[in-house]
Amino acid sequence: MIRVRNVYKTFKTPDRKEVKALVDFSTDIKKGEVVVIIGPSGSGKSTFLRCLNRLEEIDSGEIFIDGVNIYDKKVNINEIREEIGMVFQLFNLFPHKTVLENVTLAQMVVRKRNKEEALEVSRGLLHKVGILEKENVYPAQLSGGQQQRVAIARALAMHPKIMMFDEATSALDPEMIGEVLDVMKTLAREGMTMVVVTHEMGFAREVSDRVVFMDEGQIVEEGTAEHFFSNPVHERTKLFLSQIL
Amino acid sequence: MTINKRSLITLGVLAIVTYAVYYFFTRRGITYIWHWERIPEMLFYYGGKSAEDAVPRVRMGILMMGFVLTLKISIASIFFAIIIGTVVGITRLSHEPVTRALSLGYVELIRNTPLLVQIYIIYFFVGSMLRLSAFAAGTAALSIFAGAYVGEIVRAGIQSIHKGQMEASRSLGMGYAQAMRHIILPQAFKRIIPPLAGQFISLVKDSSLVSVIALADLMFQGQQAVARTYYAFEIYFTVAFLYLVMTFTLSMATQYIERRLAISD
Repeated sequence: MIRVRNVYKTFKTPDRKEVKALVDFSTDIKKGEVVVIIGPSGSGKSTFLRCLNRLEEIDSGEIFIDGVNIYDKKVNINEIREEIGMVFQLFNLFPHKTVLENVTLAQMVVRKRNKEEALEVSRGLLHKVGILEKENVYPAQLSGGQQQRVAIARALAMHPKIMMFDEATSALDPEMIGEVLDVMKTLAREGMTMVVVTHEMGFAREVSDRVVFMDEGQIVEEGTAEHFFSNPVHERTKLFLSQIL
Repeated sequence: MTINKRSLITLGVLAIVTYAVYYFFTRRGITYIWHWERIPEMLFYYGGKSAEDAVPRVRMGILMMGFVLTLKISIASIFFAIIIGTVVGITRLSHEPVTRALSLGYVELIRNTPLLVQIYIIYFFVGSMLRLSAFAAGTAALSIFAGAYVGEIVRAGIQSIHKGQMEASRSLGMGYAQAMRHIILPQAFKRIIPPLAGQFISLVKDSSLVSVIALADLMFQGQQAVARTYYAFEIYFTVAFLYLVMTFTLSMATQYIERRLAISD
């Protein structure tokens, strides 16, 4: 479903230094697979996610989603993005819109659903993430965990084929992490294709099919969550795991 | 809009200042005989207008006619300034270097030349080429002038919105224009209401400059009335007060809008 081939991506820092975010990066993600990406900060894991829906431009290489090269100039990237839901570390809910409007807006504007249909989809998803009773409040009145669940519902409302989570629980107070992870676990069990950047190894162990450890823009090691817990091979992996576990 | 406590206090302070000025004039040896009784007829009077239209009824006096024209030109200019400003604000942030340079050029050109000169150029040069009326030329000059400032305010407003808002919109499949329209601009406009209000208040006051192209606005009519009666003190105080009525109303209205939009905070 996702095929990444030889992707290079460099950033220029404000003082004009070049930072290599992705170096000759290749991987495949199958339909229904749940892939967890771990790694130290600056290892390129968020950049990789952001390249999958072209929030970043790449220097070279190819990324195919369902066989379409998304960096092809002829591709309408908006159509690709409809199929890829993204959940951000800082939620990025629309603060001037109510919970219900947040979930409904893109369905009507992008998917061209009529209002009744969009409302029905929205309410169903808000119920699913357990926040239906808050449909008429503004994001500022919600806790971090509630906001993130609304953000997940907003992404799901487009009925995407792939869901990406960019450190979705990193900005949350500890007591709220569980409620968001529960929603993510449910999704994983329902067979959603998921690419998840996270430090939550418990999540990785419970639902992931594969864990990818990245450092300096490259895949250092990959395997099942059990592999990472029992016998990681590389020194860098061992060091990283000893720091987060 | 309900008149709240704060606006009553503001009005009270203004009244005290006005009285202080008046006191200063009357007790400081200027022997001036005030003729305030001549002012009401300059606002409204009852009677016929001319030989052709002699039917007596309540009619607007000279100052009120000027007030209405200033109100019209101000509203029209604010309307066009918002449109120009939004376009300029967005194009200032365009990825297209030519578009960006054009809108920057516009802003710099307009902000760095006097409004009075612009009014003359638009009225005499552009206006005579396009056969614009004085009203159209005046409105165009004021809109173009204020549009440059509004453009910079809009740009600052857009830039103040966290980039995650654009990314979230785009990741949902919205195009750039859709994201701007539904997500970025509504939030930006809410944030820039205070500087916009200041800009529009300036615009109402700056509109007094169109009197130089013989547009019969409040300032022009005030000058006419002074020329006819020599009651310069009374008339200019009244003119100032009438401008104050417009700007103060505008100020109150924007504060009301600001409070209304604060519900999502």
